[in-house]
Amino acid sequence: MAETELVKITIDDKQIEVPKGMNLVEAAASTGTFIPHYCYHPDLSIAGNCRMCQIEIEGRPKLEIACNTMVQDGMVIRTHHTSKLVEDAQAATLEFILINHPLDCTVCDQSGHCKLQDYHYKYNAQPSRFEEDKVNKVKAQPLGPHVILDGERCIMCTRCIRFCDEVAETSELGMLNRGDKSVITVGEGQQLDNPLSGSVVDLCPVGALTHRDWRFNSRIWYTRETESICTGCSTGCNVKVAVRDNQVVQVKARYNEFVNKEWMCDEGRYGFHRFIPENRLLSPVLKGSQCSIEQALAEAKKLSAQNLYIFISPDLTLEEMTLVKKFIDSKFSEATPVVAYRKRELSELEAKLISPNFAANIMGAEAAGLVNGNAQQNYEDALAALRSGKAESVLFIGERSLFAEDRTDELLASVSKVGLSIGILADADSSLVRALSVVFPERVIAEKSGLMINQIKRLQYLDRLLDFPVGTESAWRILDRISAELGAKLTAAKNDRDFTLEFFASHENFQHTTIQDVKGQGIALDGSGETDSDKREVYSPFLTALGKY
Amino acid sequence: MSEHLQILLKDIKEPDLHTLEGYEKRGGYQTIRKVLQMDPLKVIEEVKASGLRGRGGAGFPTGLKWSFVPRDTGKPVYLLMNSDESEPGTFKDRVLLEKNPHLCIEGMLIAAWALQSNWSCNYIRGEYAYPYERFNNAVKEAYEKGYLGDGVFGSSFKHDMVTHRGAGAYICGEETGLIESLEGKKGQPRLKPPYPAVVGVYGCPTVVNNTETLATLPWIMQHGGSEYAAIGTEKSTGTKLFSASGHINKPGVYEVELGYPILDFIKNECGGILDGKELKCIIPGGSSVPVLKADELEGVNLDYESIQAAGSMLGSGGFIVMDETTDMVEVALNLAHFYAHESCGQCTPCREGGHWIEKIFKRIAFGQGTERDMDLIKDLCKQIGGHTICPFGDALITPALSCMKKYPDEFKIKIERALNGNPVKATDLHYTF
Amino acid sequence: MGLSQEADRKIEEIKAKYPNARSAIMPALYMAQEELGHLTGDAIAWVADKVGVSPAHVMEVATFYTMYYKHPVGKYHFQVCRTLSCAIRGAKELTKHLHQKFGILPHEVSGDGMWSYEEVECLGSCGTAPMCEINDVYFENLTPEKLEEIIKELEATQPDIRYSTLKDAIGAGMKNTRSEVI
Repeated sequence: MAETELVKITIDDKQIEVPKGMNLVEAAASTGTFIPHYCYHPDLSIAGNCRMCQIEIEGRPKLEIACNTMVQDGMVIRTHHTSKLVEDAQAATLEFILINHPLDCTVCDQSGHCKLQDYHYKYNAQPSRFEEDKVNKVKAQPLGPHVILDGERCIMCTRCIRFCDEVAETSELGMLNRGDKSVITVGEGQQLDNPLSGSVVDLCPVGALTHRDWRFNSRIWYTRETESICTGCSTGCNVKVAVRDNQVVQVKARYNEFVNKEWMCDEGRYGFHRFIPENRLLSPVLKGSQCSIEQALAEAKKLSAQNLYIFISPDLTLEEMTLVKKFIDSKFSEATPVVAYRKRELSELEAKLISPNFAANIMGAEAAGLVNGNAQQNYEDALAALRSGKAESVLFIGERSLFAEDRTDELLASVSKVGLSIGILADADSSLVRALSVVFPERVIAEKSGLMINQIKRLQYLDRLLDFPVGTESAWRILDRISAELGAKLTAAKNDRDFTLEFFASHENFQHTTIQDVKGQGIALDGSGETDSDKREVYSPFLTALGKY
Repeated sequence: MSEHLQILLKDIKEPDLHTLEGYEKRGGYQTIRKVLQMDPLKVIEEVKASGLRGRGGAGFPTGLKWSFVPRDTGKPVYLLMNSDESEPGTFKDRVLLEKNPHLCIEGMLIAAWALQSNWSCNYIRGEYAYPYERFNNAVKEAYEKGYLGDGVFGSSFKHDMVTHRGAGAYICGEETGLIESLEGKKGQPRLKPPYPAVVGVYGCPTVVNNTETLATLPWIMQHGGSEYAAIGTEKSTGTKLFSASGHINKPGVYEVELGYPILDFIKNECGGILDGKELKCIIPGGSSVPVLKADELEGVNLDYESIQAAGSMLGSGGFIVMDETTDMVEVALNLAHFYAHESCGQCTPCREGGHWIEKIFKRIAFGQGTERDMDLIKDLCKQIGGHTICPFGDALITPALSCMKKYPDEFKIKIERALNGNPVKATDLHYTF
Repeated sequence: MGLSQEADRKIEEIKAKYPNARSAIMPALYMAQEELGHLTGDAIAWVADKVGVSPAHVMEVATFYTMYYKHPVGKYHFQVCRTLSCAIRGAKELTKHLHQKFGILPHEVSGDGMWSYEEVECLGSCGTAPMCEINDVYFENLTPEKLEEIIKELEATQPDIRYSTLKDAIGAGMKNTRSEVI
């Protein structure tokens, strides 16, 4: 990183040094002072219209907005903490914003995580003096397949418009009219249907834009919000998932400067359920019939390394990938491991955020040494080996270890001809279940926790969102039990958390790492990140293998 | 009728002045030929020496504004003429565009040369269809004659001029609003910094000058800055157009030397108060400046400093005169309605507060005022003024505050009648349809 | 759909005059309004296509400015100035007259499609107050009686008093239109 020039400024009588060119919202944040704001967003252009971030600068005749003021050496700034003028201006701004707001918190999806509520409570908390008629605007107007508008709740911060103009570059949104008649709209003949459209809901600080998919489904305070990552592709967008009654209620993009800013694609956001089969496999299956785990293990134990093909789901955690590698090294070193991997064509817009690797942890597989040569070619070759009858036994680790489009009758017929075929799968309705000799019920990704490496080599933490059904096990645990039957116990861990800690403990480079270190913004393994600069040297040798994705 | 020096309105009544022939016949387009021989920086010095201040309302020194334009960016410099004359009470630029468009063009060319700008645009408010047509025809004439285009007046200087028609938005008179509008967007003022002199239209250094300001340049360059500076007062040099309207016998546009006593102006130029009534108050510089009561006018002159000392502003010179019968509550309502209607809608305090104030004034005017209304308006004004991107917020609160401050009793009477169950009726309203 | 060939040609000419073609949005909207009467969806689409910007941004512009009509107006659209100078000189009487004469509210159109009216903000004609702009022409120093005469004349001769962006000129004039401000 290039040396940045520092300047000295004073915020609320506290002297600090910040990089030149920084705006005052960020500068204040760096010293722990939060300046409230609606329209400002670090990754969008500055609009300066909400007037919430006003501050006092010594020597200036009037209040300035922090978002459009860059630090200058010697600047003396007063925020609402030490300036009555600023405090009053903020209270007034909130009163103004709310005069035409319908105050319909009781029926608003945003209630409970609304910046209007939060700020009003904190910076005004007075009853309104407005007694006139409110302006009426458009209500419940769908803007596209995912987003719905309540014009009366809108505070005209224009974040959504700027997002569509500057990030998605699709410009579907605009602000009609002027003055207090201003209202957001989609253009004539347009729809807010770009691949990132749901991001505008995250950006909307109030309840003007909400998700159509999750409309009126739960008050946010009845949910448990978990910070995790999306496993739709190897971008690994940081998310915050609200869950109630073991169901996903809402998915928000979580800010990560290095990975996804605060954006997220619609496929990932609204598609969490696609990794959760409707009809779950809850007990082992032996030749088409339910069986006990002992019976299944007894059959699985017959597995031999001779022409064994191991299909690996790219959604397995890094720890699991490492265990798969151990499994192979201990008894099946002649086996051919392949990760289900096929690159997808992306539009220019999709490519802004989405990775063509729809294989969340392909980098983890590579780090664990499971990819030799070209992953996609390996996968296609393994399919060919199944078809030609070359494969004498086969092991599918994870529901996503064989793509849905490859589950043709012809291929499944070949699978059923294989001497011994084992699956660790989740979908009871899957045709693959019927084609295999033994099937173990696995937990899906939302029911697991562990480490993932995304495409920019950032180690991130996947947290468990949902409770797993009784009878299921994580893939690593099933694999360990099979291995134990064969006399090679691979891990002492009993749950995902222990398994992660064991992984840290057993890798020299991660000796001092905790799960907490990986949560939040993750860790840059190749040393490119700005955080954790002290750890770069430690981690980089671990991933010397990483390269071509 | 006036004995004032006529710089801008000279020959204005000649029916052929708007044609190129008529303009040249009276000495037009001579100064620009001379200017094109000069060092552009010398031109700026001359304008600085004249003390000319922007005539659009802010009164910022023109030469100084020009000197902020960086000359080494490698980007083109653009010159915009602000003919989006929309300040209530102001109609002076319309006269220049209609009657003497070539004077405006010559002024633009002088500024363009000084700034070394090869492209300029005159932004004329949409309602001025006739002035637009006149000006546009003048530009065509100038092109035909070789006064515009490649090689202006046979020199190597290239200059293209475009006439752009607005479409009804007061805020486009604010220079960055005008720039946005010209770029094909909503006329919402920009955040400053950066200032237009550095990043203006199309991302290039830009100067926006009022029509009257630019039309004054030919005279200044012909006679010299110092001669212009000798007219008027020390700090308010030259002459200025005043648009006189309201309850007077002779409304119209008058050019007077700055420093001219207001009462003389009302008596001589305006021809006194209509129907022999008494003067109540005036708004000296367009609706955005404070009202001055009749008894505040003694000794006040038409120049920037004197009017400021009296508690108002010279502004655009929109001189509105009101007689004794004028209902100040309705004046406040009328102007509050104007500002609420014209708010661009960007900044929260102006967008919401403007309408709020209008609604309260309306209640008072319709006999539904309450005791706390006046204090509430004052408090709202305090939170709008200075809290917005552009000066519109300040423009909005000024008439509201000054009407209430100078005529509190008129408001109180209506409120008290409402509180006593004897409210004024909607049918009693004079100005509100 | 679309506009006339003449409009297609003219818009290219206008675009070329500006350093950035986007500046042609406002003239393009005027042209669309001239040909279609008001700004329909087709008009927005035409402008967006010709100028090369998103329809959403064209709509922003079309709705920000008051002189673009989002709904049909009468063949003669009266715009009575209601701001201070006109107000104190009797603008209300003009609006009242129109209200009674046409029997419609502001922004409504008379049954025969001929008339509509609205109150507008300062038109820069304060010295000749009260006044009314009909289509693109100012009628100043008015009284309800004078306004009535004008309506009669419009009815009888039906002149074109719109400003044509396509032709760069105001249509045929009529007597008693303008007052000299000086």
